[in-house]
Amino acid sequence: MQKRTVKVVNPQGFHMRPAGVFANALAKYECDITLRHNGRDVNAKSLMNLIAACIKCGSEIEIICEGKDDKGIAEEKAALEEACSMIESGLGEV
Amino acid sequence: MKITDLLVPERISLNRKLTGKTAAIDALISLHEKSGSLSDSAVYKKAILAREAQGSTAIGDGIAIPHAKSPAVKKPALAALTCPAGVDYKALDGKPSRLLFMIASPEDGDLHLEVLAKLMTLLMDGTFRESLLAAASPAEFISVIDKAEKSSDKVKSEASSKVASYRVLAVTACPTGIAHTYMAAEALEKAGERLGYPLKAETNGSGGAKNVLTAAEIEAADGIIIAADKSVDMARFNGKRLISVKVSDGIKKPDELIERIMSGDAPIYTHKGEMPSASQDGESIGRQIYKHLMNGVSHMLPFVVAGGIFIAIAFLIDSIAGAPQDANFGTNTPAAAFFKTVGGYAFNFMIPILAAFIAGSIADRPGLLVGFVGGYLATLGSTFAAVAGDIPSGFLGALFAGFAGGYLMLGLRRLLDLLPDALEGIKPVLLYPILGLALIAILMCTVNPFMGMINTSLTNFLTAMNNTSKILLGCVLGAMMSIDMGGPFNKAAYVFGTAAISSGNYDIMAAVMIGGMVPPLAIALATTFFGSRFTKEERKSGPVNYIMGLSFITEGAIPYAASDPLRVIPSCALGAAVAGGLSMLFGCTLMAPHGGIFVFAVVGNWAMYLLSLAVGSAVGMLLLAVLKKKKAN
Repeated sequence: MQKRTVKVVNPQGFHMRPAGVFANALAKYECDITLRHNGRDVNAKSLMNLIAACIKCGSEIEIICEGKDDKGIAEEKAALEEACSMIESGLGEV
Repeated sequence: MKITDLLVPERISLNRKLTGKTAAIDALISLHEKSGSLSDSAVYKKAILAREAQGSTAIGDGIAIPHAKSPAVKKPALAALTCPAGVDYKALDGKPSRLLFMIASPEDGDLHLEVLAKLMTLLMDGTFRESLLAAASPAEFISVIDKAEKSSDKVKSEASSKVASYRVLAVTACPTGIAHTYMAAEALEKAGERLGYPLKAETNGSGGAKNVLTAAEIEAADGIIIAADKSVDMARFNGKRLISVKVSDGIKKPDELIERIMSGDAPIYTHKGEMPSASQDGESIGRQIYKHLMNGVSHMLPFVVAGGIFIAIAFLIDSIAGAPQDANFGTNTPAAAFFKTVGGYAFNFMIPILAAFIAGSIADRPGLLVGFVGGYLATLGSTFAAVAGDIPSGFLGALFAGFAGGYLMLGLRRLLDLLPDALEGIKPVLLYPILGLALIAILMCTVNPFMGMINTSLTNFLTAMNNTSKILLGCVLGAMMSIDMGGPFNKAAYVFGTAAISSGNYDIMAAVMIGGMVPPLAIALATTFFGSRFTKEERKSGPVNYIMGLSFITEGAIPYAASDPLRVIPSCALGAAVAGGLSMLFGCTLMAPHGGIFVFAVVGNWAMYLLSLAVGSAVGMLLLAVLKKKKAN
């Protein structure tokens, strides 16, 4: 399992467009990707889940990638890397 | 913001057949346009299409939520459309869309995200989607959303109440209590959320304390931030880590304050002064009423003591100066007049202060105005017919004004909570005072005439009694003097006594004065010999009542009577009745309408008069000892 905490920087937070970009980009990974925000876990690959979480600018979120077995560690790392860099780069809005 | 605040039946269109994405967008825009949420539908459509060009807003599961922020939007609004057969909205999953919502957002605010999140939370539930599609009318569509929204809010609030243990708490307050108090609370709460430490902030604004911290929350918290430019109730934070800063720091550097608490950097607060009585949570109604009452009484006490002593000094000066012991006794020499007048002015505040701090204890700051004015109207005895004043309703009227006014304001505050938040600022400076003043004035002018009626009938009653037993009359007069200590009973007896002087009957005034001297004396004796029946504070101010009683200043008994009327008043009244009856029996006389022990030189048969006073006071003291329960300490 790989995890890291990042801060949302794009001014509008996770509204529909960035959430869609984020979910679509992560859809290609097989491991489970969970986003922990305000004590709640949401599926980072689901656009609806992401929007329902109401993640605003400035929120600190933890991203947790967990594959089925040890083989997937490389994939977990790649997924985490991509998810974090997307959020840190402002999801194309900064 | 609720979804149903944004969605009205005119913006809902059900069971539509749509040929494609463009038709769907046009249909939704026309719903917005018809209901007047847009100033320019062409501009708004451009924004919608620009957004669609970035990627479809059909998010899967048959749902599409086209949305745009545009200056062409007059106010935030939501339009909805159902299309059971489905329309190809170029969804990511390729499936047709059946539920379409269009959000119109003005340029400013992130309402957009919150509404979207809320809507999405509901739409994740499949049965909710089906009930929306099955709705037969726009009204039913809205009621489906309303129901789901309410139950999800309920779940949320239940969840948050379970979280009861906030790690950081805050209290914010500023002298005016209109803006900075709330800005600091908001800044702290937001910072808490950002840092991952949910925070609860109590606002001590001029509208009264809101979001009050409970004893359990304080107990569970790591520390407390006080961001205030005025004093706040600190006793409850004894033994907790605490930082106290200016309210502006709460606004400017909330993160730093929270970090300081969480790092354990803050010093532990030790409260100096009295420990608070038990917490407010789950207090019995009787206990709450007692607390409100005592708040009024304790604030009134200094006025009673200072005023009473000043008047006593005035009598002393006049008697030393050998001034005539007549109706002007106590004001015959300039020095005496000074003390008596100033003391009287302090007394004038007594009743309004009592009412004000009872009401203030119940309804917080907004209660003060109704209490002060209500109490003042009680001392004046204002009625609709005679607004300038008639028969005072005294301290009983003030108790009524305090409690009625306090609960009235509490009700008013609840009622005005329904008004939009934007009006929060004008509530304490405009709405509470004006409405409160109107209500208390009407209330007191309605109640006071009954006091006048009681007074008139009592006067008639006394006149009729004058021809029967003198001893019985003495008993009745004595009792009346101490029943309300300044209200209609007291006034009727006193006026009757002074009227008797002018018609040459001096025995009646003697019975009246002795009746007014007994209550403070009985209480003073009881605090001396039966101290266990009184609180520490009551015991401390007990000795002053010897002076009050001997000076015929019945008001000294009011704080005691107000805090425990059902036991103190009957005790005093019975003692006073005995004294009044004995005075009549011994044929004592008095030609001065006031002065207490200082005019005993002009009392006829003064030795017996003194004996009557002693017996009456002793009776009162014993009754107090029997009726009042022992206090815990």
